[in-house]
Amino acid sequence: MVLTINNLVKRRGTQEILSGITFEARPGRVTGFLGPNGAGKSSTLRILLGLDHATAGSALIHGKPFAELQHPLRTVGAALDGSGAHPMRTGQAHLRWIACAAGLPRSRVEEVLDIVGLTKAAGTRVKRYSLGMGRRLGIAAALLADPEILILDEPVNGLDPEGIRWIRTFLRKRAEAGNTVLLSSHLMGELAETVDDVVIIKQGRIVADGTLQEVTGSHSTLEDAFFALTSEQAGDAW
Amino acid sequence: MKAFHAEISKLLSLPGIWLALLIGALAPAVIAALDAIAEKEAIIAGVSTRLPEMGYSGLGLGVQGVIILGVLAVSSEYRTESSEGAGGQQISTSLMVVSSRLQLFLAKAGAVSVISILLCILAVILIVPTTRYILGDYAPLLEWTRLAGAVCYWTFTALLAFGLTLLTKQGMIPLTMLMINSSLVSFSVLLAKVTKLAFYLPDRAGMEMFMFTKNSASTEVTGSLFDSYHTPFTGGLIMFAWVAVLLGIAAIVFHRRDVAA
Repeated sequence: MVLTINNLVKRRGTQEILSGITFEARPGRVTGFLGPNGAGKSSTLRILLGLDHATAGSALIHGKPFAELQHPLRTVGAALDGSGAHPMRTGQAHLRWIACAAGLPRSRVEEVLDIVGLTKAAGTRVKRYSLGMGRRLGIAAALLADPEILILDEPVNGLDPEGIRWIRTFLRKRAEAGNTVLLSSHLMGELAETVDDVVIIKQGRIVADGTLQEVTGSHSTLEDAFFALTSEQAGDAW
Repeated sequence: MKAFHAEISKLLSLPGIWLALLIGALAPAVIAALDAIAEKEAIIAGVSTRLPEMGYSGLGLGVQGVIILGVLAVSSEYRTESSEGAGGQQISTSLMVVSSRLQLFLAKAGAVSVISILLCILAVILIVPTTRYILGDYAPLLEWTRLAGAVCYWTFTALLAFGLTLLTKQGMIPLTMLMINSSLVSFSVLLAKVTKLAFYLPDRAGMEMFMFTKNSASTEVTGSLFDSYHTPFTGGLIMFAWVAVLLGIAAIVFHRRDVAA
């Protein structure tokens, strides 16, 4: 298995943010990690990427913690909050230092700028980017080393309809080429057409895990299933 | 090495760093020039006691450039994007590219050190003709050993700024503290009025590598703060110990701390 999250627990102070998260993401499939804001999606991804430490449990990539990967950028491309760039740097300069650290040629920077449609804004400082442009820059950084695994946190946030359509098509193509794609979102409707597998998290616990058909079950849409599952679990009405 | 090059590329693509480089290159020459102008008459009359310090005073008081460099190298990683751009910080990207925190720490400290060394050499290159222009033949020759001490002082100061910022995760506190301490009101100068321990503070001890060359063994000790208290080597060693301890603590904190914390 490419991505394995096993019984992950995260506490901050007295607050338990993750209470034993377990799921997997498989190659050739888009796994949607869905849940409302504050459910623990970003915390899980941050631990998986070695940014935060787990209180207990493990989050492994090819059986190893992220920090032990020999070529992290060639293995995993990830885009978390915003662009991940300093606002005073240009988009191109941001990608260039990443390419430098990963030992990639500069020409690759121009290629990914073209892929995400930022070629014209390459020389503009990131602080002048719109939210959507920032997301595209984050995705460009994730694609630099053409990794076999893509991890995207709320990738459709801030994207215009054209951008959302682009990313859906793009992620499908990545998965069909045999890559592993894990994306988190609180927007069910935007992702139902894109994901193969669904993991739903609510208040730090997994409430559903399976293929899109299994999780949708008897409900007419993934969105309906999501609301049914999350409100049942919390015992509150939406 | 790739991580080191990336850190150099990262630093040089920040506009704030160019401001730091400009200040670092020019401030020492300006300070040295003002000092030389103020002492010129006394030097010509042969009554100045500060002749050996001419030029070096600029290197002692003109460290602001490397302080900004050390602070920005870290604070830029933790700068939160605009409210519109969610709460992203570059440190997440940096750690996803160089997954070993120790490696990132060393690459960054290395980049700060190398730029500080080059900047100090550039500052010296500008100081020499400046003091010569003002003092003419009275300008003292700069000694290699003392210049090497100044290079160490700059590098250690930059690393102290780097380590402090890594602990605070933001630039304002270390920047304000170190800038005021190095230019307006030196904490060690004030403290020296109370206790001799002040001579063991990093800035005062470090300056002994190239300033305060009056030898207390051969001349009367006036009790002035500007008397030599340590040998240049001991002074350097004391400052290095401060740097080593601070960087050690910063490295442990950086290794253990969650990015989201």
